[in-house]
Amino acid sequence: MGLFVLLPLVLPLTSWPVARLAERRLHPRTATLLLAAVGAVLAACSTLCLGLLVVVGTAQLPGNPLPDGWSDPEVRQAVPYDEVLGQVSIPALAALLATCGATLVRHRRVHRRALLALEGVRNTSVAVLPDKAPYAFALPGTRRSRKRIVVSTGMLDALEPAERRALFAHERAHLAARHHRLLLLARLSANAHPFLRPLRTAVEFGVERWADEEAAHSVGDRRLTARAVGKAALIAASGPLSGVLAFAAAGQVPRRVQALLAPAPTTRLWRPPVTASAFATWLAAAGAAASALSSANAAITLALILQAATPL
Amino acid sequence: MDRAGQQPGRRRGQGQLEAMVLTALHEADEPVTAAWVRDRMGGGLAYTTVITILSRLLAKGAVTRKKAGRAFVWTPSADAAGLAANRMRQLLDKENDRGTVLTRFVSGLTGEDEQLLRDLLTKSHDSSAADGAQEDGTGPETDGTRRKRD
Repeated sequence: MGLFVLLPLVLPLTSWPVARLAERRLHPRTATLLLAAVGAVLAACSTLCLGLLVVVGTAQLPGNPLPDGWSDPEVRQAVPYDEVLGQVSIPALAALLATCGATLVRHRRVHRRALLALEGVRNTSVAVLPDKAPYAFALPGTRRSRKRIVVSTGMLDALEPAERRALFAHERAHLAARHHRLLLLARLSANAHPFLRPLRTAVEFGVERWADEEAAHSVGDRRLTARAVGKAALIAASGPLSGVLAFAAAGQVPRRVQALLAPAPTTRLWRPPVTASAFATWLAAAGAAASALSSANAAITLALILQAATPL
Repeated sequence: MDRAGQQPGRRRGQGQLEAMVLTALHEADEPVTAAWVRDRMGGGLAYTTVITILSRLLAKGAVTRKKAGRAFVWTPSADAAGLAANRMRQLLDKENDRGTVLTRFVSGLTGEDEQLLRDLLTKSHDSSAADGAQEDGTGPETDGTRRKRD
């Protein structure tokens, strides 16, 4: 397996340029899907290779399940990373699995509680809750419950009728495109490899921009949509929930408004054939492909070695 | 830690039953008896449990009751939405990572963001006001036309 097992642990770095450039240069839909897919591939490959290192690392532990032929000198030479790297990878993989598990559990719990909170309210596609605190969000459905938009009267009162249409269009876009799945994927990827965190931030921003563009398209007025987003952000900032909101990625809303006030983005991947964003996209794609190839290489090699070392 | 972990679980159990009773009441088109509610919710619940839950909901103002013959009949009060709002608010306050599921319309703002945003909105408002002067009254559904008719 040699160096190949280490490559996927470093290759997530190739996603940084595209994470930075995609937001400005690509259509938000293209950018978000691209980033989520690249992140998922890179995360899966690096996790696989971490797992391979763990297999090698356990060779030092008493009672490991590896075959006896494992300690033959030629096998040891073929599988070099049993010392520091192998030992370190064991707690690393454990931490990775724990954080990913925690993310999934929290995702499910919040979803279930939100659905539960709405029981007793008439089952309409928009649930209006009498609350002065301004909030609005998309609540994905399950097999038993429909997907809904939840909005407080505090939010509705602050917006004019046309702006409300933009808000609903935005939330419907989230639901229609199942953005919650992309977000979960990006968060799990970021848990799997710290180098993928810029990608998560970019995906979080990307789904908002994507929904903004859909909303602007459906109400037919970019400026109106920009005003709805801006006004909603300003009242949310002064509202009683502002404390808990402050943690969220700063600077997102002004960038969204600015983008809406600019002309609509093109859906073509890039305009001139060779630009920085095209280069960044190719780099990320190449990184993901190299990561997939080298992790596959390492996995197959290790499987062959284990098979050869097993006395049957 | 242990206590904190257990308490929400217990509350959730109660909240779930209350929500189920409320849903059953909503599905009825007229005031119904506790026995009807119990049948509607399916087996497993004792009559007294249903009465207890209904009384608890009554205390919270989520349901109202009136005498009909020898029994009470129950209707959901208009404030069921208010109860849901309370529950949702608790969830939003507590879950600082709610973004995982609840893709919110807007996220947080820093002081700097706020100023930038106000500037952007003022700018866009000025230019749209200039446009609006030419297109005034063309929209068939605007508030302005409705007001004129009134």
